Amino acid sequence: MDAVLDTSAERFTPASERAEALFQEHLFEVHRRADIMFAILMAVQWVFGVVLSLVVSPWAWEGKVRSVHVHVYAAVILGGLLSGLPIAMVMRRPGWVANRYVIAVSQMLWSALLIHLTGGRIETHFHVFVSLAFLSFYRDWRVLVPATIVVAADHLIRGLLWPESVYGILFPEWWRFLEHAFWVLFEDIVLVFACLNGAAELRAATERRAQVEILSEIDRTKTEELATALEALEKSQEARMRTEKLAAVGQLAASVGHELRNPLAAVRNAATYVQRRVTDPRFAGQPASADPKVAEFMQLMLRELDASSKIIADLLDFARERKPAMNPCPLHPLVQEALTVIPQIGVRVVNEVPEDLPVPSLDKDQFRQILVNLIQNGMEAASGKPDAQVIVRAEGGGGRAPWVIRIIDNGTGMPREVLEKIFQPLYTTKVKGTGLGLAVVWNVVHAHKATIEAKSEEGKGSQFIIALPAAAGAAAAE
Amino acid sequence: MTANLRASMNWAPKPRAMPDQRIRPVHWVIGLVWLVAVLACSVLLWRYKSAPGPAGAAPPRWPVESTIERSHEEPTLLLFAHPWCPCTRASLGELAVILSKANGHVKAHVLFDRPASESDDWTQTDLWRSATAIPGVTAHVDGDGVEAHRFGAETSGHVVLYDASGALLFAGGITNARGHAGDSEGRRAVLSLIATGKANRSVAPTFGCTIDKPELAEKR
Repeated sequence: MDAVLDTSAERFTPASERAEALFQEHLFEVHRRADIMFAILMAVQWVFGVVLSLVVSPWAWEGKVRSVHVHVYAAVILGGLLSGLPIAMVMRRPGWVANRYVIAVSQMLWSALLIHLTGGRIETHFHVFVSLAFLSFYRDWRVLVPATIVVAADHLIRGLLWPESVYGILFPEWWRFLEHAFWVLFEDIVLVFACLNGAAELRAATERRAQVEILSEIDRTKTEELATALEALEKSQEARMRTEKLAAVGQLAASVGHELRNPLAAVRNAATYVQRRVTDPRFAGQPASADPKVAEFMQLMLRELDASSKIIADLLDFARERKPAMNPCPLHPLVQEALTVIPQIGVRVVNEVPEDLPVPSLDKDQFRQILVNLIQNGMEAASGKPDAQVIVRAEGGGGRAPWVIRIIDNGTGMPREVLEKIFQPLYTTKVKGTGLGLAVVWNVVHAHKATIEAKSEEGKGSQFIIALPAAAGAAAAE
Repeated sequence: MTANLRASMNWAPKPRAMPDQRIRPVHWVIGLVWLVAVLACSVLLWRYKSAPGPAGAAPPRWPVESTIERSHEEPTLLLFAHPWCPCTRASLGELAVILSKANGHVKAHVLFDRPASESDDWTQTDLWRSATAIPGVTAHVDGDGVEAHRFGAETSGHVVLYDASGALLFAGGITNARGHAGDSEGRRAVLSLIATGKANRSVAPTFGCTIDKPELAEKR
């Protein structure tokens, strides 16, 4: 396995870089939201300005003759200009840096226009200060600069060209400009601090988030590498199992060769005798059927060929790894089917599987094979006892409960050291066994994602318990 | 198991592309054009608001033919108003300030112009109600603008102030722009004249709608 977990911090984006990116991202969001708020405010101010002019000063009079008041034109045209550009800019590119500067200029000019439309009411002058406060929503102190310049320029230009419109008198004292500017600057100073503090808090928050993200990224990378390592491990295990299996098959071939040699030698001897009996001229006129040895040897040949066939079948079962074809299959009839292929001599086999048990999904042929193997093992263990019996039981399968299938015999039982090895390939305690029967059972059970457990008590019998997962039921129900 | 682990990794944050923040020359041009248009409209508005209305010559002595009763103990102030002129709302506001500061040392009359063809109802506007709500003010209907003509008032918001002897102290407006409340040279002068009998000026421009003088009506 070459996957090595490397979680050193150098592999990840530095927290400061990520914090800066997050800060810019959040700040952009703040600007975007403030832009939208001001776009709405611009529209509201425009409507308000027009309504105000229509209510307060709709007409200008010359005696009995009236004409539309200049305030109405100012509200519609000048107000439209003031609101139109910021709204268009925000609609096109919300969050753009130019928006807030145009909005700052426009908002302060709106203050001047509203002051005109309300007839210079002192209360409307609060619009200037409220607007400055609103502009601080951008958390960008630089926005206050054009806003303040507009207020100052308005006072300066009008103070020079038309002083009475600002100060009410033609020749104001030189410091009157400072008096007006002082209050604006006073608010500016407070708002600049508020903007700087807001930005600092935002930066601190983004730095914390960046740290958390980096840690999460390390964690995520760990998880990813762990997943890769596990995948490699799974592949390695599969390869090892294949190698072991090939080794087992090789070992088995030797064992099978050895096992087959004896019956084949016996068959050859018997066949040689039968051949000689049939072809030797010395036996001419004496029918082979009259020779009792011919019948005996023929019987022997059949028995030994059966034994050889069994050895080869077991080998094939073990070596051939077929993916189970899962289909709904009721258990009671399956057990009954298995019993029909097992000659029951001297041992009573009882199928106690309820007929109304929920139906699992499994490979019918493979599962019948493991039932046959286990029942045959039980019968062999119990044979010779006067009340020898093998019982097959099953339960569960409802909802999330797994199916539990038990094959119980009252045979000789197994000692602990045998019990630990019974599922190993080629391990057998029988004189004529290949040691593959239970290994095949183990493979099939695990191919069904099920588990198998063996319990045994010497002199009392053994019990094999197969637990078939509830998922098999869900698959069957589909 | 590895599939579960991989599925748990899908939350990873994705970097967000920041939009282009550049300001191009064309944007500066658009901004400049907008600013020029706004300034042009503002200048037009200022010019309109700061353009005083016409003013006739106020008689230096209280005209004996006037039907308004002049006070012989303290100065008498007359304000001529067009009942529908929105700009005059600011003049009435300034009058209220003057009267509150004068502390009862002036008699004030507001004369609402009524063209010959209209009934007195034409003068019953919110301005009339505002004027009558100011303590110490007596409102009159000036039929055909006779009194306005008599005192040389041609613009709504025009004020004349005569002392107890009937001599003219001040003639002009008491706002600094058309329909614009706030301190003004005219208001300062009137207050000073009421308080001390002296001021650095005796005239000021009047900002408001034109009053329907008989001569003007004939011209129209």
